[in-house]
Amino acid sequence: MSVASVPFSLGRLGLIAGNTFLEAVRQKLFLFLLLLAIGLVASALFFREFNFGSSELKFIADFGFGALIFFGSALTIATTAQLFFSEIENRTALTLLAKPLWRAEFVFGKFLGVFAVIGVFCALTIGLMMALLYHREGQLMAQTPEAFEAGRLISYGDLLVVGLLQWLKFGVLTAIVLLIASFSNTNLFTVVTGFFVLVICHLQYLARDAWGNVDNALIGLVVQAMSLIFPNFQLFNLADEIGQGSGVDGDVALRVAGYGLAYIAVIGGLAVYSFRNREI
Amino acid sequence: MSQAVSAISIKGLTKDFAVTLRGVKLRAVDALNLEVAEGQVYGLLGPNGSGKSTTIKIILGLLEATVGDVRVFGVPSNKVEARRNVGYLPEAPYFYRYLSGRELVRFYARVCGVPSATLKARVDEVIAWVGLSGAADRRVGTYSKGMLQRIGLAQALVHDPKLIVLDEPTAGVDPVGSAEMCELILKLKQQGKTVLITSHLLAQIEDVCDRVAILDRGKLIVEGSVNELVGQRDRQALIVDPLPAADIEALKGWLAERGHALNSVEQPRARLDQLFLSKVSRPGRPGGASAGVGSNEVPLDDKPKA
Ligand SMILES: Nc1ncnc2c1ncn2[C@@H]1O[C@H](COP(=O)(O)OP(=O)(O)OP(=O)(O)O)[C@@H](O)[C@H]1O
Ligand SMILES: [Mg+2]
Repeated sequence: MSVASVPFSLGRLGLIAGNTFLEAVRQKLFLFLLLLAIGLVASALFFREFNFGSSELKFIADFGFGALIFFGSALTIATTAQLFFSEIENRTALTLLAKPLWRAEFVFGKFLGVFAVIGVFCALTIGLMMALLYHREGQLMAQTPEAFEAGRLISYGDLLVVGLLQWLKFGVLTAIVLLIASFSNTNLFTVVTGFFVLVICHLQYLARDAWGNVDNALIGLVVQAMSLIFPNFQLFNLADEIGQGSGVDGDVALRVAGYGLAYIAVIGGLAVYSFRNREI
Repeated sequence: MSQAVSAISIKGLTKDFAVTLRGVKLRAVDALNLEVAEGQVYGLLGPNGSGKSTTIKIILGLLEATVGDVRVFGVPSNKVEARRNVGYLPEAPYFYRYLSGRELVRFYARVCGVPSATLKARVDEVIAWVGLSGAADRRVGTYSKGMLQRIGLAQALVHDPKLIVLDEPTAGVDPVGSAEMCELILKLKQQGKTVLITSHLLAQIEDVCDRVAILDRGKLIVEGSVNELVGQRDRQALIVDPLPAADIEALKGWLAERGHALNSVEQPRARLDQLFLSKVSRPGRPGGASAGVGSNEVPLDDKPKA
């Protein structure tokens, strides 16, 4: 008697992703996200009183992205760990993985579900920020038309590109947290380790700048290895280029996107490998 | 291959858990051999911690065997293909709280690849079959233990598997519910399904199982058909109207003349669970057309009486 093989299925992967997303929806996570996004963007409004002309716009954009990066990272780590461990701790993974389902479908399904949740947060924050900028820019144009002789200063297309790259960066972070969760036993350990890795990913370029040219070959090697193992999150930060010179370079953006996708694929693959041997 | 393949075949299965950091191992299952033929209802018994759930998890590929060969319909149990024909109800099941019962069964049906043309009908069918139609649109988070077991059974059956593995399906379920669970298991048997079941309620196991295996500390102690194991071939019981003492004496004499002995005279008693079943209302006969468990919902405008 032969049993037909079970091919890897994007449909099942999508089902898991959808169910993960639905969990976030039904737990009213989005209400929280919406409030958070409104709060973040609204707090930028306070700086309106400074009224330092066009540089105020730059300030709002910087502030918005700073808030997106900070809260987005925290949210990514917490949400990924929570949505993964809710399956393990409630033992729903037991029922699910007893179905004809590949563990890779489970891991990547979880990834896509979380990635979609974070996407909603990014879209909310960036959407609100763009609306605010547009509104404020219109006001400033009316007040000081001489500063806007060349039309609007803010490139909204660039804002969108930078926002998308940040979302992708959160995707890399999601994959990292899933990798940690795949072998970790507790939610707390996963969250703490996740934050630790996040800091390394943001600061590793400092180590490279400081130590990369040191003569000591060993330190040089360690720094090289570090910068290969941990993705450099600073690369994703193209916000500084908004409204300056020629704006965001499309080639650079594409290369950064490729960099992010490569890390997601590799780290996700490692997470699958590690989760495959996990005893549920 | 003409020879029939066992539904479950376990050869030399040993499972060790590392329980301390110093590498001390706990042997949960010890050199277990077991064959479950297709179409049987097979009971896996044993005290707490004897390795029943561990064995089941290995059968389902949730745990990896330390040593040994475990096959489901001839396919090694760690292969994804092996789970095609298996439905599983975990012990103390707990499902996505945020889904309704119907959404839950639908989700699992889609994961198992039930074709979308028949999806809705199939989901409704199994929900009715376990007697949960009345509560299918409520959140699983609001279900009672017995209802969780029922929705768990629906979820295990939705893709029409050939083998159904039930880990303590009657734990925490009242006698009415567990009697119904037994009826459902017998119906599955009539449909030609193979059922592997663990339970502590030995009386029930006895009623539904063809064969049983008893584990103790991971080792197989006893294995055989229920009739072989507990049937007393050298005894018979006659149930009669109450007899006066003189008649009993006369009967003894009559038996003695024929070379037989009267071994004991007892007052037969109804079992307490039978009494319970006859007194308590039985909502939602499984498989029946009634609205089922949870159908005692109150209409919204129906105020509780003061
Ligand atoms: N993941 C695990 N890690 C370490 N030890 C485990 C693990 N799972 C089970 N055990 C141990 O293996 C033994 C068998 O456990 P198992 O759950 O199979 O027992 P059981 O027969 O199902 O008991 P019960 O009737 O209480 O459900 C127990 O001693 C248990 O402590
Ligand atoms: Mg058990």
